[in-house]
Amino acid sequence: MVPPERRTRKQFLPIAYFTANFAGTVCCGMRHRRARAKGHPNRTSRKRISPFRTFSGDLTIWWFSPRTQRVRDTQQLNQACVQELIHRQLPQGGWPFTTGTTQSAVEPTALALLALPSNLVRERDAAIRLVLHTQNANGSWPAFSGDDGGGSGLTGLALFALNRCGAQGIVGHRAVEWLLRTKGWESHWLWKWKFRTSDRHVRFDPDKFGWPWMPETVSWVVPTAYSLLALKHARGISQQDLAKLRIRRGVEMLYDRICPEGGWNAGNGVVYGFPLAPHADATALALLSLQSEPPNHFITSSLDWLERRAETCFAPWSLAWAILALDTFGRPTALLTDRLSSVVDNAEVNDCAALAVVSLALRRPAGDNAFRVAYET
Amino acid sequence: MKLDRRTLLTASLGLAAGASTAALLNRPKYDVTRRQPRSRVATLRAESYSYNLESILYSGLELFHLDVRGKTVLLKPNLVDYIPRNHINTHPLLVCAAVECFRRLGAKNVLVGEGPGHQRDTELVLLESGFSEQLHQLKVPFVDLNRDELVATPLLATFTGMNFLWLPRTVLEADFVVSMPKVKTHHWSGVTLGMKNMFGVVPGAKYGWPKNILHWKGIQESILDVCATVPVHFVIADAIVAMEGNGPLNGNPRPLNRIVLANDPVAADATCARLMGLDPTRITHIRIGAQFLGNVSTERIDQLADAVCVPTNPFDVVPEFQHLWVTGSAEQDS
Repeated sequence: MVPPERRTRKQFLPIAYFTANFAGTVCCGMRHRRARAKGHPNRTSRKRISPFRTFSGDLTIWWFSPRTQRVRDTQQLNQACVQELIHRQLPQGGWPFTTGTTQSAVEPTALALLALPSNLVRERDAAIRLVLHTQNANGSWPAFSGDDGGGSGLTGLALFALNRCGAQGIVGHRAVEWLLRTKGWESHWLWKWKFRTSDRHVRFDPDKFGWPWMPETVSWVVPTAYSLLALKHARGISQQDLAKLRIRRGVEMLYDRICPEGGWNAGNGVVYGFPLAPHADATALALLSLQSEPPNHFITSSLDWLERRAETCFAPWSLAWAILALDTFGRPTALLTDRLSSVVDNAEVNDCAALAVVSLALRRPAGDNAFRVAYET
Repeated sequence: MKLDRRTLLTASLGLAAGASTAALLNRPKYDVTRRQPRSRVATLRAESYSYNLESILYSGLELFHLDVRGKTVLLKPNLVDYIPRNHINTHPLLVCAAVECFRRLGAKNVLVGEGPGHQRDTELVLLESGFSEQLHQLKVPFVDLNRDELVATPLLATFTGMNFLWLPRTVLEADFVVSMPKVKTHHWSGVTLGMKNMFGVVPGAKYGWPKNILHWKGIQESILDVCATVPVHFVIADAIVAMEGNGPLNGNPRPLNRIVLANDPVAADATCARLMGLDPTRITHIRIGAQFLGNVSTERIDQLADAVCVPTNPFDVVPEFQHLWVTGSAEQDS
């Protein structure tokens, strides 16, 4: 055995590295148990950055490497998010937007359904039953339980979530029919004429239309993105002529309403000749719905904008959507995931929809992205 | 001319039908009257956003002898989006000053609630506009009205033709609602003040981002329906730095160095419009609101603090609203 004073640097470093990682892991585990005992599942783990993370190559011991540690911490945090989601699930199977209310809403329910791992059979089944039960007679989904039956712009999201869970069936066909029937009002000849002649302050082409938030209004980016995701992913549907036409119109609408610097906001790029600023969440959703489109400058400029915006974003909802979209297009997201971990580790996320998207984003380091989908060609 | 029985009968029926139609058309479109005999407005001078705002605001509120003891007070600021360097939102220091003042006045609970109409990520707007930090320091709860529990609420006016709106439970259960607008011009409605600010209680979770149904039903009409249904008990308008031009997002800052307080939303909006150099009687929702929600005439408004000065240069507005500018010195009051 070599005396300690005779050890070379190369021999010493792996031992120090191993010791530091082991100590960190033990501390992290204790902290995790303490936080759990306090009943704060959102605060169960904390990102620990090893002082030796700059070393790599020969010195990396895979099960204690910084990257593995980060992935495991992220996974622990994700498990805490999932536990919190289960805790917030209503007896009927759905989720409300915020804690303390009992009115289940479609957006948090559909996103939570996507976030729940497949081994949580009971919770997923309850959620699926609720989503199926709340479908309107016309095939659409309401915005929340008790809403009127006209339909909402979240129908696409509900259908996409059911589809990802393999629970589509007849319900899905009715939803697809509703989506194919529903258009933004700018597609109507009367309003088209109005927007072309008298009402020209908003720059857009009314021939390019998508889906509205609710019937009798014009198209907006988020419901269009959700509907495109659903239609493109609905098996056996996307190749039908009408579906192909609506998908094409929806994609054209997104390209038409893009902000001059790239990215999307609620739905208008230019008003009164003034360029409007994009939003991270709307941009991410639009990009996710365009993932099967051929690469073009609209997508590239929006990805570039989203990357820049995400660098200064600390809000869980926007940051999580940005991670999902950037990851889908192969852009690096490790640092963003670290930041998201630290943000949600230090503050409670009250919004169930945001918590679900955070959980989906934290699954990304494990190679799982619920919004990266293989489309029919 | 010979008048036979048949002609007489036909003419009578025609007259009766005409009278019925006229009566239906002239029937008031509101089921509520909140107009007081007189309204009170205080225009306070405030040079900048500082921690001194609390004392200025408290001295102004004392003029109104408000009784909020034991009540739940909901402060409804104007938060639309966050764009660096654009004065879009009610300033967080003014909102925090209002929180402290209502606590000093004995309110049981003071909440801050808003449902941004443009940006879906309310948390992002709160973080980046500095609200999160300020509200956290004061330990005051914030309610995202876009995502609150919703209650179907019959409308107390029918200007839009809608029968009911889904409204947040927090708003309906508040005892005292304070509208805290940013004084701004607006490219669709001319101005956005205390009454238009109440669009923020209409939930995005149901009506989307933006709340486009209100645009399609008519912005002026929707303002009247919402304000008839959700009573605005008090207004604290942020006119320290206002916005002119292409509001509500991309206008230019215009310092007025004023805070406007009022116990009547119509009187508050009329006073703010006058401060902007605009004629309130030419703004549809203020003019019609004066029939049942409050007072617009200066003869019915008691000015409790500084007098209202009409600026020599009115606020810049988009071309469609240049008819709102006060012409000459004689302002027409209704």
